[in-house]
Amino acid sequence: MRGPDLARLAWRNLWRQKRRTILTLVSITFGGFLAFIMTAMNDKSFADFIDDAAQLGTGHVTIQNPEYQDRPTLSRSVQNTGAKRHLALQDPFVTRAVDRASGAAMLTTARDAFGAYFIAYDPELESPETLQFAQDMVAGEPFQTADDKGILLGRILADNLGAGLGDKIVFTLTDRSGEIVTGMERVKGILSTGAASTDAAIAMLPINTLRDVVGYQPDESSQIAIFLNDGRRAGRVASTLRPEVGGDAVLTWDEVQPEIKAFVAMKVGGARVMEIVIGVLVAAGIFSTVFMSVLERTREFGIMLAIGYSPGQLFRLVMWETGFLAMTGLLCATAFTAGPYWYLHTHGADTSAAYEGMASSMDIGGVAFDPVLRFDIYPENALIIAASIVLATMLAGIYPAWRAGRVDPVESINVI
Amino acid sequence: MTASTTPILSMKGVTRVYRQGKVDVHALRGVDLDIHKGDFAAIWGPSGSGKSTVLNQMGALDQPTAGTVLLEGTDLGSLSRKALSAMRRDRIGFVFQSYNLIPVLTAYENAESIMALQGVPVAERRDRVMGLLEDVGLEGLEDRRPHELSGGQQQRVAIARALASNPAVILADEPTANLDSVTSEKLLDMMARLNNERGATFVFSTHDPRVMKYARRVIGLVDGRVDSDVQKEQGVEHKHQSRV
Ligand SMILES: Nc1ncnc2c1ncn2[C@@H]1O[C@H](COP(=O)(O)OP(=O)(O)O)[C@@H](O)[C@H]1O
Ligand SMILES: [Mg+2]
Repeated sequence: MRGPDLARLAWRNLWRQKRRTILTLVSITFGGFLAFIMTAMNDKSFADFIDDAAQLGTGHVTIQNPEYQDRPTLSRSVQNTGAKRHLALQDPFVTRAVDRASGAAMLTTARDAFGAYFIAYDPELESPETLQFAQDMVAGEPFQTADDKGILLGRILADNLGAGLGDKIVFTLTDRSGEIVTGMERVKGILSTGAASTDAAIAMLPINTLRDVVGYQPDESSQIAIFLNDGRRAGRVASTLRPEVGGDAVLTWDEVQPEIKAFVAMKVGGARVMEIVIGVLVAAGIFSTVFMSVLERTREFGIMLAIGYSPGQLFRLVMWETGFLAMTGLLCATAFTAGPYWYLHTHGADTSAAYEGMASSMDIGGVAFDPVLRFDIYPENALIIAASIVLATMLAGIYPAWRAGRVDPVESINVI
Repeated sequence: MTASTTPILSMKGVTRVYRQGKVDVHALRGVDLDIHKGDFAAIWGPSGSGKSTVLNQMGALDQPTAGTVLLEGTDLGSLSRKALSAMRRDRIGFVFQSYNLIPVLTAYENAESIMALQGVPVAERRDRVMGLLEDVGLEGLEDRRPHELSGGQQQRVAIARALASNPAVILADEPTANLDSVTSEKLLDMMARLNNERGATFVFSTHDPRVMKYARRVIGLVDGRVDSDVQKEQGVEHKHQSRV
């Protein structure tokens, strides 16, 4: 009987100063909304960034020759790739595992010669999620199989070379034994990734063309790129795979591309700081609301103590009030955030107007800049925000609640 | 006279000194006082004579600087904070000058609140509270909040609440001070009747000489000392006026 009685009292007390309670609820709602939307934006760009980095690089997890990371040459290769890909696919988080060979090549046409970065891949193993810009064709056709003929060029590279569809390209590179070798293909397609630095350098080949030229076995490549349904699991997947692939190195996307890792860490850190600032501001607002309402009721608490409420009961009463404030605040925040979040999640927020004219050439580390902000929160982060709201509110209530029980009845009752 | 039975309340050599800056204020200077079951006692004295201090000592709200207060034989000075809370909840009923009630609770809920703390079953609470509210003349006003009641009605709720917990004694500190004289007399008349009919023990303070005709025992307090303690003849008649 004691618990519910205090709860009823607390609920009514909460609404005594309606305006103040509503203002506090508004601040909880607004704080929760901001934290949620910011986190959703951050989570989405984090996830996208990892996926982009994985796509542009060599997957969320990469199997490669242990010496490849120091100096990537085609002589440092991976054998038995078929078996290793199969092994990787046993992991439920792995969506795809593909053979890749990449490196520097010199491209020559009748008119000009340019350095390029080539990616050789197996079109039947890849998908738009693993090698998206293989589909970003502005002219020509993408490859269908690993045995197709031809070469794909980035838009700017093609311009520089003066090459159009069907033109001959001679490519020169170093083979598996360190010899300089050449191959010849005709331009099969021209692609545009949106990132100028990529479009000026990229050339793509079917992996069997490359195998022929450099002398690889059918089951040999320079890397195996492994893709996950959640990039954050790269570390775990890599460590389960590592003991099973013999002497090969198994690296995560950020080990392969440490400069991108630093950039992501900075972005994530910035968002955390903002979330903490929001949290502290909201908690301070709640504290002042609860504390003020306790101070205003000094005499009332004195009377309650005099007629037989214990200090512990007054503590619990104020904690109930705080708890109701937290739960009501959480409900308001959820109700207010759900709609806008759903809209932003499905539509995104287009900021291209703000970047008029520059969007087309912007990229970060070769990843195209998307002017539409996207929102997708990691479920565990949503739970953390909800729990933080409740926790911050309850923490803010502890001191005022303790004060309520410490009221001196004799002194407080004299004050009318 | 029932002076032979053990007193409900017993103050022995109680002094209370407040330190105010560098001065000591002697609120009580050695009070010896016994309250017996069934007493209807007025503590009378001018403002500042120590009436509130005496009642706070009796009600376990304040500790004496020296001396002892026994409530039903228990030395209040020996009890923990928790035990004192329980003592106030179970053995004492308090009525203050004004604004006694919990503002967010109705008259009914206020009267019921201490019984809920005591863990009295709901049905029993309901019977007792309805009976008491009727007894103090508030039938039909059960669902009103304190701000919807007059000052006199609020004091009646406070008395009903004090009685509801079945305390050993009800301590009322100037319960009529904020009421007009007609309302005051009705309230005192009602208290006297509850004393008569239910045997409820009351100790109340006042500095209003008109209030004194209701008391059966008048304890005069001057400068923190008991100056006089007069037990009126038994059989003084209380006219049973109609309530409210
Ligand atoms: N908290 C306190 N601090 C200092 N002096 C006090 C305090 N409470 C009461 N006193 C003093 O004690 C004396 C008795 O006070 P009180 O018991 O309230 O008298 P009464 O109720 O008869 O008016 C007064 O002189 C008063 O000023
Ligand atoms: Mg007084």
